[in-house]
Amino acid sequence: MRRGMGLFLALIMVVLVGCSSSTPAPATSSAGKDPAANTKPIKLGLIIPATGASVEAGRFQKQGAELAVEEINKAGGVNGRPIKLVIEDDQSTNPGAVAALQKLLEDKEIPMIVSSIRSTQIQAMLPTINEAKIPVAIGGTNYGLTHSNSQWVFRFRPHDGMSAKVMVKFVVEELKKTKIAVVHNTDAFGNGGRDMVIEALKPYNLKIVSDQGFNTDEKDFTGVISALKQSGADAMVSYIANSPDLGILAKQMKQQNLNITWVGSPSITGQDGIKLAGDSLNGTYGIADYNADSSPKAKAYQTAYKAKYNNEEPDHYSAWSYDAVTIFAEVMKKNPDLKADALRTALLAIKGFQGAEGEYTFDKNGDGLDHYNIVQNNNNTFKLAKTLHVPRD
Amino acid sequence: MDLPIFGQNLLAGVAIGGVYALVALGIVLIYRATNVVNFAQGEFSMLGAYALFALTSGLKLNYFVAFLLSLALMAVLGLLFELGVYYPLRNRTFLPVVIATIGASIMFQNGALAIFGSSPEKLRPVIQAGTHGGITLGGVFFDYQYVVILIVTGLLVVIQYFFFEHTLLGKKMQATSQDKDMARLLGIPVATMIAITFIYSTLLGGLSGMLVGPIFFVTHRMGGMLGMKAFAATIIGGFGDVRGAIIGGLSLGIVEALGAGYISPIYKDAFAFLVLISFLLVRPQGIFGEKVSEKA
Repeated sequence: MRRGMGLFLALIMVVLVGCSSSTPAPATSSAGKDPAANTKPIKLGLIIPATGASVEAGRFQKQGAELAVEEINKAGGVNGRPIKLVIEDDQSTNPGAVAALQKLLEDKEIPMIVSSIRSTQIQAMLPTINEAKIPVAIGGTNYGLTHSNSQWVFRFRPHDGMSAKVMVKFVVEELKKTKIAVVHNTDAFGNGGRDMVIEALKPYNLKIVSDQGFNTDEKDFTGVISALKQSGADAMVSYIANSPDLGILAKQMKQQNLNITWVGSPSITGQDGIKLAGDSLNGTYGIADYNADSSPKAKAYQTAYKAKYNNEEPDHYSAWSYDAVTIFAEVMKKNPDLKADALRTALLAIKGFQGAEGEYTFDKNGDGLDHYNIVQNNNNTFKLAKTLHVPRD
Repeated sequence: MDLPIFGQNLLAGVAIGGVYALVALGIVLIYRATNVVNFAQGEFSMLGAYALFALTSGLKLNYFVAFLLSLALMAVLGLLFELGVYYPLRNRTFLPVVIATIGASIMFQNGALAIFGSSPEKLRPVIQAGTHGGITLGGVFFDYQYVVILIVTGLLVVIQYFFFEHTLLGKKMQATSQDKDMARLLGIPVATMIAITFIYSTLLGGLSGMLVGPIFFVTHRMGGMLGMKAFAATIIGGFGDVRGAIIGGLSLGIVEALGAGYISPIYKDAFAFLVLISFLLVRPQGIFGEKVSEKA
């Protein structure tokens, strides 16, 4: 009896849902020559960590995307059709990201998706993206993501291969240092970074003088610091993602009187690192893909962002999703029928498009950017030292 | 050998070993009273650090007032923990209780994540003086906070030893830990003794968190590593003895630091667990063994 009842109710629901979703269709088509269809919102998928460890990053990513949507819709949308974000939570995990992606893919009205900033999540999503065959924006910087024969991922940040080249170029050519040590987490990000620094030093006929790896969540860096002292290094390049690690290392370097030139991966300019390290990071250099002083467009983005979000400073967590939505809208304007193949071709044709992060020119791998800004920590404010472009591969 | 560098590495080992010892003391205490390893002990450190952070940075209380208030909060938490996690399972074997402490530890971590977020926080050190929070003597930097930790750990070991061996309450608690039924027959209020043990070891855990917070920074994950290393220290030192906690903690810290400094920082954790595994193979009862040898 109960089962029969349940089945009956389910049947009623199916009928109701079926009706509600099928009724608008004839209504729009019967409206004749287009005006109704023209103002129907375009859905754009957005995957963010709304729960779990990365919620902060998720909030920035969402704010950047929403700012772009607001600007596009104010300016008349995509040929008159407003953009509407459909947001799914990736729960800060890989399975969560894949589930969120699948949920968005089930909605066939979504022509493009802006996904994660985390390389590991994108790696998990890649097979699904390749099967779905619709353009997906990514913010993860792992080199392999755009170099594993996927036709459908488009990166809106520079990749890690570029960060190593930029850091090495800056240390060797601008700062004239030759005895370079690498300090890094022993995870995929840190070890990968170390390998690319070694690679980037080859054209200069240089080798690293010390390779110092440590486990994430290390609490004492005395061993690393004494090894650096004994190696005679005059500069260090670091790939450290975990901000407590960065904070403790910086503090102990000052305590144990190790003063060498330090150029670090983006976390060294992040708010968490500064909060923890206090003044210990003063004078260090960091790389950042977004910097408000790097271009007029970046400045305009900062102004708009601060106005909309209570004077909060924007960073790359929001800038890339802002750029992704903006550029997606741009290619949709040129391809109003929103066919995946045409959108992909249009994205690959983007050349010299000025975004908040920098100038986008997509190459055949789907990489949009090839620059990094080098900034220097000056009593915990960041001064743009140089914007360096590097050759792509 | 470069003497200041050796000194710096040795000091790092002793200091971090002192932290392990402090957390291990709490594990030994609860084990002695209930025969249960409390896997949430590391989380008590994390919660203590967050309590102090919330009171000083959130409510802007005076540091020392906030310190005492946090300790009081930890005492309340200890009682609640005993009533919620241990008491309902007290008549079962040790395994359900151990699982319950693991569950509690997961809950504490995620609770802290939900309340305080994933961004790490900075805590004020006890002594605010010196350049970079310490002093350089003979080429070796002494972080005042580490000095405080070592003094506090030393004091607590002495107090704890005295308490268990020379006070009536301590002896009642020992009796409870050795044979609950016998203790009950002798008129010792077993439930109260156990509750007191939980309160005290939660206090210890919280205290360790408040002391290491300025050095390690406060995150919802900070308790996991601390608890794990303290557990290893307890195995090395032996579960039955408070001296074991301090010797185990210090030797673990020193092995790690010298291994990292002179062999490779990458294998730092591996050195620690190598020592642990050697002890499990060669001397599973630890350096000091258990006080009552026939206990399983």
